[in-house]
This record gives sequence, structure tokens and C-alpha cells, in this order.
Amino acid sequence: MTVREQLRGDPQILAMGGGGFTMELDNPALDDFVLSLVRVPEPRILFLPTASGDPTAQITAFYARYARRASATHLSLFRRHGSARSLADIVLEQDVIYVGGGSLRNLLAIWRAHELDQLLIEAWRRGIVLAGLSAGAMCWFAGGVTRSGGPLEVIRGLGLLPGSFSVHADGEPERLPVWLAAVRSGELPGGWAADDGVGLLFHGTRMTRVVSSRPGTAALRVDAVGEELVRHRIEPELLGSSPSLAARPVPDDVRELRELRAAMRLR
Amino acid sequence: MTTGRPPQIVAFGGGGFSMEAGNPLLDDYVLSLAERERPKVCFVPTASGDADHYVVRFYRTFSTRCETSHVSLFRRDRGDGAVEGDLEAHLLQQDIVYVGGGSVVSLLGAWRAHGLDRVLRAAWRRGVVLCGLSAGSLCWFQEAVTAFHGAPTVVRGLGLLPHSNCVHYDGEPERREEYRRFVGDGVTAGYAADDGAALHFVGRALHRVVSSRPRARAFRVEPRDGDVVEEPLPVSYLGDPRLDLAVA
Repeated sequence: MTVREQLRGDPQILAMGGGGFTMELDNPALDDFVLSLVRVPEPRILFLPTASGDPTAQITAFYARYARRASATHLSLFRRHGSARSLADIVLEQDVIYVGGGSLRNLLAIWRAHELDQLLIEAWRRGIVLAGLSAGAMCWFAGGVTRSGGPLEVIRGLGLLPGSFSVHADGEPERLPVWLAAVRSGELPGGWAADDGVGLLFHGTRMTRVVSSRPGTAALRVDAVGEELVRHRIEPELLGSSPSLAARPVPDDVRELRELRAAMRLR
Repeated sequence: MTTGRPPQIVAFGGGGFSMEAGNPLLDDYVLSLAERERPKVCFVPTASGDADHYVVRFYRTFSTRCETSHVSLFRRDRGDGAVEGDLEAHLLQQDIVYVGGGSVVSLLGAWRAHGLDRVLRAAWRRGVVLCGLSAGSLCWFQEAVTAFHGAPTVVRGLGLLPHSNCVHYDGEPERREEYRRFVGDGVTAGYAADDGAALHFVGRALHRVVSSRPRARAFRVEPRDGDVVEEPLPVSYLGDPRLDLAVA
């Protein structure tokens, strides 16, 4: 067993409602937190931008954030590497695997087509930290709510973590009612919703911490009891010490998209 | 509604606007099959992850002379110009569906998750001309050789064409060796094409082979008497006939 393998701990997953390098250009709090979860001195982190089709902008943002902090690489499932290494060799030598946002339906289908889902489960069992936001967070749970086909809909995940997960609770408030209705009807099991900037840390299948890169954010635990929903607000630990940065507005393109969607809903 | 055309697939070993800037021969050939003044052409860039630059190049190439559109399976939630709403209705109305290159494994996974495999089969039956290069060629066959991660392997395609397929036959020597070995080991017999060569199927049978490069070749690869035979196919060069140096 290598030193790297000896330093691995229990299975860990950090599931973020939003935030990190793809959404918070000036706030590294969540990304620093990701790296704090591993004990090895020069961690290896692998980015999987599958859910968005490996867009260059996400990949460059990843390197901009992580290249100085870790040994950072990315895995494309759309472009060739010119490498003869197998996916198993690439995945199982990592310390952290970070999954980006995008289409959850595509993410799961493409992983399965490459049999990468099984490799990621094996990585998790071996103590390689799994982290991700949005589609890259919901994928680990029993299910969530996605826009993969356009309108919001319920979707199954890999089911490593019990319960369901709903993302962007503050940034895309129209998700929450769809998720709550699915939990109430039993289509999805009870679970958590997280604001942008909020991350839920699981050791094994047990949630142990809730952290945030932004003040004023929260996570929500919801369970269906009979016909009723029982809600429980969870206050996160605020990461870092730069509230002025953490309170920065969302990037322009994200804001415009949200305004557009809000306008479409009103039409 | 029927197009009046038989099912047709044009499978490029490589080439067309995404690989041969300035050489429109293969793309022009496909457009000619539509038999219309201004054909409807829809681009499906799934295998590249709907790469923006690829979509832009498609529009640059075709928008002046065709009714162009594209399908995005990654940005279904955004109004970024891709087809919205009912993909099936849109695709069934096309004259040509053009599938871009990239990873055939990722393409097949995403298509199946969105039901596009079924839609494209229906489009083919109706006479919508299906074409593409690389992953956009491999996908139509029963079995295909891909070399995306690690050594070449065989994947199961949509099976519209009951053959196997190997692309970039000249460009990547190890594919050629592996393809012949696969066919020897029981993979369906089939067709290999160089960059610049395109296999035109009408129904399930090979109709002809055309090329955008004078020396591009294509082969029938099949087991025979315990060996694997690679038989060169006649290729029609689509450019200036004086440059046609094809092997007699």
C-alpha cells in the first residue's frame, strides 16, 4: 500500500448546492475546504466536466483555481487525450474527484456508457473524496430535480447517499416547489436542499457538517411524515474570513440567465 | 409525410467541414442527396459535448445555402439557439441530419438517455439522410472500433447498418491492425474508410464510395478461409477528374 493510500480516510462526499470555482470567481472558500478534506501533502484532484460537455471555460476556471493548490488534471469524455491509460488508472490514483454542473441526465448516461459510475463508486469506497456542485452533487444521492430535458423534472441518481438533494435553493427558487412536491408524494425520499455556496459533507452515508462560502445562506432538511412535510433549517458554518468577497453578486451571465427564466415564468 | 427518398447514410472515415476546411466535396455530396434547392440540415454535435466552436463552424459552412439548425443535449434549459421543444418532430422534418465527431461512447450514452436513438432510426426510415464523420460515422453501425481511452475497443452502435465500421483508417495505424484482429475474433464483417473517404449506404447495402481526396481509400474487411481479408473498394473522387489517381 502506498503512503497516499494509507492517508485515505473514510468515504467522504461534499455535495454543494452551488458555488466553488465555476460559480464564485473571487471566492475560493469552498475549493479550499475541498482540499482540507484530504491528508496527503500534495493532493491530486481530477475534474470531471462531463455534465456540461467538457466546456473550455469550466476547465480553465478549474485550473485557475486549483493548479497552484494541488496537482490538478481533468478528464474529458468528449475529446481525446492521446493517452493510452485506462479510466481506472486515472481515477483510482486521485485524492479528490470534483464533478462540475450541467445536465444530470447526460452526466449519468455518459458515465454509465463509459462504466465510469462503477469506478467512481470504487473510488469513494477507497476513500477518494468526491465533491461536486449542482448536477455534480445530486448525482451521488437517490435523486434530485434537474433541467436536463428543459423543464424541471425528478431524476434518479447513483444512490451512494440516502435521501434526495435539491440545489440552487436561493438562486433558482423555482426548483424547490418541484422537489418538495416529489418528496411529499413519495416520488423522492426526504433529503436536503442547499443554497448556492452551501456544501453538505458526508462521512460514509452520514451527514456530518454543513459549510458555506456565503453569509445568509442555509440548507434545508425535509421529510414527508404522512401527508405533511417536516422542514428543518440548518445553519451552515461560514468558511473563510472575507465576508465582503463572499457577499459579491453572482456573475453577470448567471444573473442574466436567471432574469430570463424569471421573465419566462411570468409570461 | 414522406420524403420520397430511400433510407440513406453517408459515413465519412473523416472529413467534411470539421476536418477539411476549404474542401467542401464530401459535404456537397451529402447536400446533393437531398435533391432540394435549400435543404434542411440539422447538426447534432453530441459526441463533442456540444462544443460551441464546432456549432459555429457548422453554421458558417451551411447557413448560406441550407435551412440550418442544431440540437443540444447539454443545454436543453437555455435559449442559446438550439432546437427547443419537440426534438422528434424537428428531426423528422429534416432533409439531412449531420452528426459531428468526438466520443462515440459518450454520444451513444447521451442519445439513449434522451431517446434520440429511436428518433434517428425513425428519421432514417423516413428518408432523412443521415451523415457524419468519425463518431458520427461509427454510431450507425452494428459494431464500431473506437480508440478513445486506452487501446482500441469495439462498441455496439445503433445497428441501422448490419456491419462493423472503422474510421481514420489511414490516420491511425493501430486501428487498422486492431480492426482486422477484431474481425478475425468474431466481430461483424464491415467497412473501413480513410480520412476523406465516405461510405454511402442505400438501405442497408453499400451503394458507392466517394472521396474528397484523390488517394483516400476504403475497404471491405471480412473473414475468409480462416484469415481476414481487406479488399479495396472502388472509390469515386468527387473533385477534378484529372486528379483521380485512384488505384485501378
